[in-house]
Amino acid sequence: MMTMALLLILALFAAAIPISYLAERARTGLGALTLFIVATIGMFLLSTTIPEILNAANNNRYTETYYWVPEIDASFSLFVDGISFSISFIALILIALTSLYSIPYMKDRDDINPYYSLLALLSLGLLGIFITSNLLLFYFFWELILIPSYFIIGTWGGGDSYGVAFKFFIITHAGAVLVLLGIGSVFVITGSLDMFQVTAALATMQTGPIGWILIAFTIGFAVKLAVVPAHIWLPDAYSESPATMSALLGGVMTTAGAYGILRISLGVVLPALLSNPFGVQFLHTLALFGILSALFGSLVAVQENDVNRMLAYSSISHMGYVVFALSLFPNPLAIIATVLHLLNHGATKGLFFLTTGDIVKKAGTRDMNELSGVASCMPVTGTCSAISALSIGGVPPFACFISEFLIFMSAFQVAIIDSFYLIPTFLLLAANVLSLAYALRYVGNVLLGPPDTNQMNERSALVLGVVVALAVIVVILGIWPSIFTQLIALVNFQT
Amino acid sequence: MIDILDILAIPTILILMGVLTIPVIKILHTKPRYFRELLIGWFLIGFALCIIAIANLSFKYFNLEPIVPFFNINIAGIEFLVFSSSFLVDALSVYIVVIFIIIGAIAVIYGVLSEKDKGQITERYYAVMLIVLAGLMGAALAGDLLTLFIFWEVSAAGSSFLMLYRKTPRSIHATLKYLVMIVIGSSFIMYGLSIVFSIAGTLNFWEVRNVLIIFSDKTLLLVAFGFIAGGYAIEAAIVPFHLWLPDAYTEAPASSSAFLSGLVDQGSYYVLLRVLIYILTPTVVVNWTTTIAVFAALSMIVGNLRALTEVNIKRLVAYICVADVGYNLVAISSMTHVGVMANLFFFFVGGMATALAFMTVGLLNSMGIETLDDFNGIGRSVPWTSLGLSFSLLSFTGIPPFAGFFAKYLVFTSAIEGDLSWLAVIGVTASVIQAAYIFRLVNRMYGRPSSQQFKVKESRAALIPIFILGLALIVLGFFPTLALNLIQPVVQELPMIP
Repeated sequence: MMTMALLLILALFAAAIPISYLAERARTGLGALTLFIVATIGMFLLSTTIPEILNAANNNRYTETYYWVPEIDASFSLFVDGISFSISFIALILIALTSLYSIPYMKDRDDINPYYSLLALLSLGLLGIFITSNLLLFYFFWELILIPSYFIIGTWGGGDSYGVAFKFFIITHAGAVLVLLGIGSVFVITGSLDMFQVTAALATMQTGPIGWILIAFTIGFAVKLAVVPAHIWLPDAYSESPATMSALLGGVMTTAGAYGILRISLGVVLPALLSNPFGVQFLHTLALFGILSALFGSLVAVQENDVNRMLAYSSISHMGYVVFALSLFPNPLAIIATVLHLLNHGATKGLFFLTTGDIVKKAGTRDMNELSGVASCMPVTGTCSAISALSIGGVPPFACFISEFLIFMSAFQVAIIDSFYLIPTFLLLAANVLSLAYALRYVGNVLLGPPDTNQMNERSALVLGVVVALAVIVVILGIWPSIFTQLIALVNFQT
Repeated sequence: MIDILDILAIPTILILMGVLTIPVIKILHTKPRYFRELLIGWFLIGFALCIIAIANLSFKYFNLEPIVPFFNINIAGIEFLVFSSSFLVDALSVYIVVIFIIIGAIAVIYGVLSEKDKGQITERYYAVMLIVLAGLMGAALAGDLLTLFIFWEVSAAGSSFLMLYRKTPRSIHATLKYLVMIVIGSSFIMYGLSIVFSIAGTLNFWEVRNVLIIFSDKTLLLVAFGFIAGGYAIEAAIVPFHLWLPDAYTEAPASSSAFLSGLVDQGSYYVLLRVLIYILTPTVVVNWTTTIAVFAALSMIVGNLRALTEVNIKRLVAYICVADVGYNLVAISSMTHVGVMANLFFFFVGGMATALAFMTVGLLNSMGIETLDDFNGIGRSVPWTSLGLSFSLLSFTGIPPFAGFFAKYLVFTSAIEGDLSWLAVIGVTASVIQAAYIFRLVNRMYGRPSSQQFKVKESRAALIPIFILGLALIVLGFFPTLALNLIQPVVQELPMIP
């Protein structure tokens, strides 16, 4: 059994920062290959932790602790449990595939050398978020992703990319400082920064400021999650970023926001308040914001003509589902449904952005009214794109169907006890219908129909390989979700 | 046993170096070929001696048997105790001296390397720089209020020569403003000290403190405190006494601004820390926390808002210095262990970051890049200097992996711990404003097309000190323990204040 697996993953990505720069400078494509290899080794290393996760004697958790800043009780403690494992695994898959996809996608962009270094730094931050159990380290990784995101969006994006990146940076940073305040308060109250110790310590306390801490954390994470009305940065950031970055933004970064709410707001802080009316009100408010996002996102997406913006609003809508599912906490089925939807949505959205990225790049337009019949000249990409669209629309047997189904199941379970959830669940069903509407509109308008005069083709085997691999994953997740659900079900929130 | 010479060695070395620099430069001018290298070698010898001296002092101090947390020593014998200058060695002064040596060495070396024209290097400039540094070291080691005052005034007054160095009309005006403020400040302190002396009959830190604790009528004490704190507030540029700072730092040559912001500014925080926490300890002596907290909030708000509207980048960095005063005061006014840790870490990191910012902005200014519009696209035309500037700017914002992140985390945590949550909220809000104007600048550096073509090539030599500081900010961001190790003893000594 390996005992430094997680540290090794982070160290590999850290090493990839300079190595991929040098490799890319030596020969085009080598930087991407470095990152691909690192992510693949990362998946392997991550898999070595499975026995520990299955081991009930160890709380179903694999942990590593290293020396960091003992003066403020911050240790470099890493852990994976079922949730962290599943999310990091999907994140690694997306990182590996987007870096390969970048080779043809970024081919005609000059000055590509720093791109892979920034991507490696971004991956380091994203993975770190999911596998640390120290709150300060969590924040460290949380903010670490801002700098590479800013430069990737700004340098290789389209339109007023730097302006968009600036907006993204400032708004998410403003959200993050609330998280920082929350972490500081938690440290002052409990004297610890370790998530699990803090959970135990908070559970014994009187309410007092804990409600404020909960609100600060949740708002901070909700900004990254782009819950309406904190969503204003997202449509621009998604539509102007390069497709690879959009895939990571939509597939992993919003997941990080949801993970933050689940792990810290709900997992660490909320248990202290669950018996309190404030805790229940908080969950109800969360449900309302979730429904608002889900409806707003899908309503805008239905009438959006820009492909990327439609995807962006669809992300807002799906994150609304997630927030609603989170509000069902601590229903065990809801937790499984939430995490599974994060995984499925991440993989699907990644696939969606990568396929549309290729289509948009070749067609030269993002307007759905100008695109037509893509599937007949790009059959493989078109099919994969259709798979992702149908998955987003919640059509079986694709990934998002099963998790949306689980969300509704758990919602009904909770609604039996708490009748408040009846109307929101109904509204969520309405949003789900709208999702299918914009997904089918995309399939009908862009993929099917008479082919455009524009001669589009698919020649790059690399692009095809990446999208097919991701499409296969989306289908597998749809028909065989128990690969991950059995791991997620092992996670025990101390409620 | 620690001898008085162990302590005096550090300022003495620096003063001697300063005096000897004048003939040394005159001699070196006869060897123009390796002039710069030899001059840096000469300064490095001096700083190496300082390092040996502080290593010796800290070794002796930490090995004292029995352990004495605050080691006092007088120049004169027992019979003249009241009139004798006394010195104090504790973990705090050791830490301060160490960081002053580090930042001082880098600032002086930058001063040599940034001068394009060898003929411009005058011996007097470096002599003054070293003597100001000696004054700061003396202040860090001072053991009574008068010694502290004398050494601190040496550096505060000496700083005016650094500002005046170029003798442009604007810099003369700014220096005059500074001098007037400093004179008012020192007379305030002087007046406050005389009241304290008349109450306590002594100026030794601990004896003054002991007398003040038992002294029942606090009215007179409050007046004295008002004068002393007001005086130091002027010299530390706390809002609303900050008006001299932007002018002075903008008009001074870049190497002076880097030196002043990295050392003299941080020295003023040290003085505040020493006087406010160690002598006027709240609740037992004077309860000043709320007052200082209000000034902290003002400094953060005014500093950041003024920087938001500023288009001259050097002035913008000067306003960041004002905002930094606020963050330091937050840490001080929290009166907690984390607060002291935060303050000490913040002013080390903040000193490095402001020094780095002034160094890079100085290089850019010499290429004619001064206002916000000139900064458009310099990320491509002047890549390395811009990278150095970005390091310092990101550290100000408190984005990991730069050290400023830990500094800000510690500051806000200390505010929450000190029951000043409102101050933490103001600080965080101000910090977002800071992120906005700083990222507007970064955005222009990398996101906008360049407005003009530059023919000036980047000076490689001057990039050396810049990247030493930049890398130090990153290393401390990943491993803040490197500095916190030195700070930890200070925090442990806090409850032992006699």
